[in-house]
Amino acid sequence: MNMYCIFKHFFKIGALLLGGGYVILPLLKAEIADKFSEITEDDICEYYAISQCMPGLIGINTAGFVGHKLMGIKGAICAVTALVLPAFIAIVLIAGLLTNLADLTIVQKAFSGIGIGVLALVIQAINEMREKSIVDKYSLIIFLCAFTCLFVLKISPAFVVIGGLILGIMTGFYKAKAGKK
Amino acid sequence: MIYLHLFLQFFHIGIFSFGGGYATLPFLYDISEKFGWYTLDELNNMLAVASITPGPVGINMATFAGFKTAGIFGSLLATSAIIIPSIIFVIIISKFLNKFCENIYVKSVISVLKPLGCGLLTAVGVHLFVNEFLSGNFNIIHFILFCLMIFISLKRKLPPAFYLMLGAIFGLIS
Repeated sequence: MNMYCIFKHFFKIGALLLGGGYVILPLLKAEIADKFSEITEDDICEYYAISQCMPGLIGINTAGFVGHKLMGIKGAICAVTALVLPAFIAIVLIAGLLTNLADLTIVQKAFSGIGIGVLALVIQAINEMREKSIVDKYSLIIFLCAFTCLFVLKISPAFVVIGGLILGIMTGFYKAKAGKK
Repeated sequence: MIYLHLFLQFFHIGIFSFGGGYATLPFLYDISEKFGWYTLDELNNMLAVASITPGPVGINMATFAGFKTAGIFGSLLATSAIIIPSIIFVIIISKFLNKFCENIYVKSVISVLKPLGCGLLTAVGVHLFVNEFLSGNFNIIHFILFCLMIFISLKRKLPPAFYLMLGAIFGLIS
């Protein structure tokens, strides 16, 4: 186990990581759990679960935990860097191309339709999130407040999230107190 | 100065966005409104490209936005800025691990942040919808295409590339 080895495997995962989200799970299993005895499939599932309840992008966090388990802080930095590198290279190349192509009528026409596809994807994502997150009156109120804050009041999402953090900690405090009684 | 600004904006996305995928979108939308580094249409195009290239969408968007704003160095800076918080949090949380998700405060915070994140994304979705259909001239073909896509997405889950291809074909012939 060395840095080069971690880098190589995570670079490969990064290159195959299309569509984001849970796609990273089978890739980590095939590239890491099946090849290194230090990490089991259960470890990976656990890291993924924790990544969902902490800040940052889920795939990045999961890779960070695996790297950390393998080689400590250096391993975490190496794994995350390797994971994002293919994405970085791809986007820089495309961004360079796109700025040159963006003035062509044919490209503009295609993108006018693609915009509709993007909108549909966003609506689909909202719908999936709604099923998982809005479960009672309490969560519906939070949903509506967050929507109003950004859409009507134009409050920065960061402040809305800070508000949510405070509310969550207060709820936790209340629950911890109620649990003791 | 622009570099510091760019770094701080993407660094705060790394700290405050919870959950994967489109969780970064409300932040990117906010940046476009407030700083004008890229327009809403460009954000839309970015999202399309990000859906069909490797890597998490949030990272792709950071690279793209950084590139648009300050070239290669900008994209390097924005991408690093969004992943640095992740690395720091991973190192800290590694010490607690399995106890972390069981903690009552973490659980309560997550139960608030889930619907909150959904609310933020819905605000972006509605804004995109208004921008596409209700401002300027209404395009009936685009609207029919939109309804068709929503209908398909309710029936079955297809990869993002399907919607983008369908959109591109309609865009070219309309």
